[in-house]
Amino acid sequence: MSTSNWDPSRPAPLEEDVVKCVACGLCLPHCPTFRLTGRETASPRGRIAAMRAVEEGHAVVDASFTTMMDECLACRACEAACPSGVPFGRMIEGARAQAEPTRPVAARGIRRAGLTGVLPRPRLVMAAGWLLGVARALRLDRLAPAAHRASSPPVSLAELRRPIPQTLGEGPLARVLSGCVMDVAFRPTQRATMRVVAAAGYTAARTTPAGCCGALAMHYGQPEAARAMARARIAEMEDAEIVVANASGCSAHIRTYGELLADDPAWAARAERVAGRTRDLIELQPPPSDAGIGTVAVHDACHHLHAQGIGPRGLLAGAGAHCVDLGDGGRCCGAAGLYSVLQPEMAARLRRQKAEAVVATGAPVVAVANPGCAIQIAAGLRELGSTVRVAHPAELVSPE
Amino acid sequence: MATTQAPATRDRFAALLDPGRVIDHPLERRLYGRDGSIAQGDCGMVVLPETTAEVVACMRLARELGMPVVPRGSGTGLCGGAVPLDGALVLSVARMSRILEVDPSVPCARVEPGVLNLDLSTAVRHLGLHYAPDPSSQQACSIGGNVATNAGGPHCLASGVTAQHILGMEIVLADGEVLRLGGTAPDPPGYDLRGFVVGGEGTLGVVTEITVRLSRNPPHVTTMLLDFPTVAAAGEAVGGIIGAGVIPAAMEMMDQKMVVAVEAFVKAGLPVDAAAMLLVEVDGTAAEVASHTAVVERVGRETGAGRVRVARDEAERALFWKARKSAFGAVARIAPNYYLHDCVVPRTRLVEILARIYEIGAELDLVIMNVFHAGDGNLHPLIAFDRRDPAQVERVHAAGTLIIEACVAVGGVLSGEHGIGLEKRDFMPLTFTETDLQAQACAREAFDPEGRMNPAKVLPLGSRCGEIVLDAGSLPEGTWL
Repeated sequence: MSTSNWDPSRPAPLEEDVVKCVACGLCLPHCPTFRLTGRETASPRGRIAAMRAVEEGHAVVDASFTTMMDECLACRACEAACPSGVPFGRMIEGARAQAEPTRPVAARGIRRAGLTGVLPRPRLVMAAGWLLGVARALRLDRLAPAAHRASSPPVSLAELRRPIPQTLGEGPLARVLSGCVMDVAFRPTQRATMRVVAAAGYTAARTTPAGCCGALAMHYGQPEAARAMARARIAEMEDAEIVVANASGCSAHIRTYGELLADDPAWAARAERVAGRTRDLIELQPPPSDAGIGTVAVHDACHHLHAQGIGPRGLLAGAGAHCVDLGDGGRCCGAAGLYSVLQPEMAARLRRQKAEAVVATGAPVVAVANPGCAIQIAAGLRELGSTVRVAHPAELVSPE
Repeated sequence: MATTQAPATRDRFAALLDPGRVIDHPLERRLYGRDGSIAQGDCGMVVLPETTAEVVACMRLARELGMPVVPRGSGTGLCGGAVPLDGALVLSVARMSRILEVDPSVPCARVEPGVLNLDLSTAVRHLGLHYAPDPSSQQACSIGGNVATNAGGPHCLASGVTAQHILGMEIVLADGEVLRLGGTAPDPPGYDLRGFVVGGEGTLGVVTEITVRLSRNPPHVTTMLLDFPTVAAAGEAVGGIIGAGVIPAAMEMMDQKMVVAVEAFVKAGLPVDAAAMLLVEVDGTAAEVASHTAVVERVGRETGAGRVRVARDEAERALFWKARKSAFGAVARIAPNYYLHDCVVPRTRLVEILARIYEIGAELDLVIMNVFHAGDGNLHPLIAFDRRDPAQVERVHAAGTLIIEACVAVGGVLSGEHGIGLEKRDFMPLTFTETDLQAQACAREAFDPEGRMNPAKVLPLGSRCGEIVLDAGSLPEGTWL
């Protein structure tokens, strides 16, 4: 008996996941958008109830459903708080895939072009990086709508010209994901990452420059493109002892490669192997040192804290840092992949909250291990007129 | 699907608030048709006021339009108290969430109803204070909702339930009139109506401001887990500890099925092989804590406890409590739905009633788990089921009735802390005579003569004061009574 109103040609939340929610509401206080709005429609429990209404044939996927799903940050704070173990992360991915046809055609076209046309092609990603760099050099970013200006990646032409070593160090082989945004906009972090992996006792070897892991495509309803990118990365990483990613969204996503390719007999076992060997950079343990870091405020990226249950304090403390928590319970900063671009208003309120929490610590620097968070928090600090510096933990423990 | 309100109605509410704080899309309204219970109601429209003045304006307009009003806090209630029927207006206080004033000298706090219970305790922690009633849902539930249900919690064993912690209130009645009740004076003049409004389940008005008593944090706390080979042995330990003159700050029991479900979530190293587990907390001065801990351990051993595990530090203590307070939600690891009762029985009858509850489960082929406030005999038998199986749902319903009847037969009451709401409404005649119910209907009517506040809750349909009948008409399909 199927009464579901899901579009069978697209991924959808699984019934067995949807019925797991008992509506206890323990997720509510952990949801940043519920905290801001007080609306059930902007809460995990409400979003699941909406999925269940479609699943049981009481509602259809319409503009209202899409708004509810798009307002979600997919920070997965609710998942960590849920005693029932509802796997919200994969449910929201399914719900967004269902929502895709209700979105404006132009927006869909642009997004699909980006996610399925550009990201899977490293050369195009790098070319886009150079274009952005030129645009920024010409100060064209000032032409962007004010709401979007905060989301612009800090690409610099000088940095793009400086090379990143393809290999470094000695020891067992560690394949280091180059990544898309990291490789065009955070090149000092990329170099520091190579140094930290080498210091931890590995031969650090980079994957194809600007080669994307596929996380963004997966989060935004393009699973086929995501699988293609996963296969490309697996093929170049599977020979390694460990696989290292330095962005929280990437390490969390690579760890799900097994699940992503479970139905592909030629790739399932290979995907599982790569997933099992994945380490986030912040999990590495280079020998203790004193990098002269001093006091550092620690931002926990959602894809570290909620999706993987890890944090950078061990790595930072090992290099002599005095770590200070932000005191906001690890609430999402509002970057959340493309969220800050797609939901600028909600993102701006979260950005302000996060920047205020950073400033309140009194630390001169904040450690941020995700490119989206770094762009978002730096913008938030600028808006407050703060001089607090944003740095990836790799740059802090291994300064140039 | 719920009825659609005329756009004109929406526009009139939107003119009072702003369009973003009025919800009338059918799918969005549907999300407000439920609370933490299993009833799915029919919500006509949702308003999210931010001030008392806005609540007054909404109440006046609802009166003009003849709309019933259902106040809603966080919607974590377990008896359908916030479930709207027949297209009622849901008035959510979620955006009234400011802590207005903290006075450490009393000590007390003046808060809006949407403030979350745990947020209040967190906000006053630096003053060495906390808000004592701590329902398991304390991280999510609102003070307004706590007032509505006269909520309890593990620590109410020693410190009393919500009613003992409410000093004053502001309440907006169905016609928009604003009343202020009580205050910080020890004996406010006039009749003390606070005790009537606390536990009113939204049938008397919308509470828009609350002055709560804050409590000083105890200087020392010890939390322990004791595991037992039988549920009966754990029950005996509960009586033995209190019989030895120790009233612990909290004393909670979980049976094996519950411990296994929760352990899967918290990974606290709980005794999954024991038939029952007691969580006991004692607090006070160092000397009190030491002597009470010794009594708990001794009585525990005498009644058959295997291991006695004392929390090493604050982190482990927090983990023990996380285990207890996530119990209900963790049931989904066994079945997608649960039906929960909240009877209180005399502590001396605990062992016998638990045996009867397991028997009922076996007779009706249902998984019944127990996690409850053992110290005050407040049971929470929890029936795990799948609502997609209609035959099973019928057996769940039957088991609920049998459990309630068994508890009332030994001198128990229907609800310890969750409230009566929709789910237990029709069991009220088991403990009240018709005259009692009439008297309660009269008192309710003094606040709400038109019967528009949370209709069809608490009192059985047909309860009347004189000529007026509380009647919400037909119940929507799927409402389970």
